Amino acid sequence: MSPRQLALIPVAVALNVAVGRIVAEFNLPVYLDATGTILASALAGPVVGVTTGVLSQVITAMIGGYVWLAFAPVQIIIALLALAGARARMFRSLPVSLGLGASVGVVAGALSAVISYFVFRGVTAGGVTAITTLLTSTGLPLSVAVTASSLATDIVDKSIAFAIVGMALRGLPLRMVARFPEAGRAIRS
Amino acid sequence: MARAHPFTGPSLTIAITLLAFLLPAPAGPLWLYGGVVLAALITGALSAPWHGALICLPLWFFLFLLHGVLGADPSWSLGSLSLSREGTAMALGQAARLGAIVTATLAMYRGFSVPRFVDAASERGWPFQYSYLLVATIMAVPRFVSQVHHIREAQRTRGLRLTGNWLTKGRGLKALALPLAFGALAEAEERALALETRSIRAPVRRTPLHVVQDRFADRLARWLGWSSVVAAVVWRLAS
Repeated sequence: MSPRQLALIPVAVALNVAVGRIVAEFNLPVYLDATGTILASALAGPVVGVTTGVLSQVITAMIGGYVWLAFAPVQIIIALLALAGARARMFRSLPVSLGLGASVGVVAGALSAVISYFVFRGVTAGGVTAITTLLTSTGLPLSVAVTASSLATDIVDKSIAFAIVGMALRGLPLRMVARFPEAGRAIRS
Repeated sequence: MARAHPFTGPSLTIAITLLAFLLPAPAGPLWLYGGVVLAALITGALSAPWHGALICLPLWFFLFLLHGVLGADPSWSLGSLSLSREGTAMALGQAARLGAIVTATLAMYRGFSVPRFVDAASERGWPFQYSYLLVATIMAVPRFVSQVHHIREAQRTRGLRLTGNWLTKGRGLKALALPLAFGALAEAEERALALETRSIRAPVRRTPLHVVQDRFADRLARWLGWSSVVAAVVWRLAS
């Protein structure tokens, strides 16, 4: 790993946590806790993206409980799909980024639902669990309620996160883009 | 906990996490939770059980609601509530599991010293990149969180509104997140230069600044933790 790649990981993890705090200040019903992972993946490739995602879960787990490490595979899949999207030039405009985010949200939501159902019995973070409880009270089976709530929140969450990363990549100075060849490819129209 | 070897806390917390899922619910996780709370109090991490309970409270509430109240076959009465016996037992086990893991992690984190961890990692011959990643991240997180406040105040002087409809909030999110992302990339460039200057890739073994004592009590605690995990695996496979 080059010094530039190594230096990018801690700041990308911190970005994941800090953007999460911004969202909390706005009282928005999303998390955006993969923004740094998506940015790192689109800028510097799979090793940096996956390491950022896993380390992000480790740090969150250290502060809030090792139990959240179970969601590390979700961060890994987001990093890999973000890289695939970057290589397919899917950060070139806002609508394309939003579409990519929604598609990644479907995959991430499905994986989150499996982890949430089998490891946590459907009870994870407040917003998603509130929707799960609401759906269960209407008579839906728990597995269906968990899947529906995870998909709904993840599609919105990842669409916004990918849109933000797309805007950041397109707004980068050319000097910075030149240092990250993956970024140049991601925003080329 | 602060005097313990830096590897003891994380090692025991991982062992407790595994035990919480290996022991049969609800009795196993309940006993484990009780033990973790007691151990936290004895080792001086007095606020960990209380802080852990506060983190777990919403999760406990939803577990009780989702599995106890809305669970299948409500056959058990608690006041005016009809509860599912099976769902309530399951919720109790899961609640104790979460409580044990969160309390153990918080107790470990309270006693975690970044410089001692770096010294211990160097002493064990860990590649510098691994300890750098962990330590730089732990130090970057609070700095970025405080940077959010600085950016927010700066943007408020330019007319940023934190309240309003979703469109207003979306614009506000963009006004805060983008400067933060650009700042992060600028910081990464500075760090990259510093790492290169300090020969990060030089194939030399780094020496620790201070020798961290790995006492008998530390080795025994780690050995007991992992032996319990192995014993639990064997027991669950045999039963």
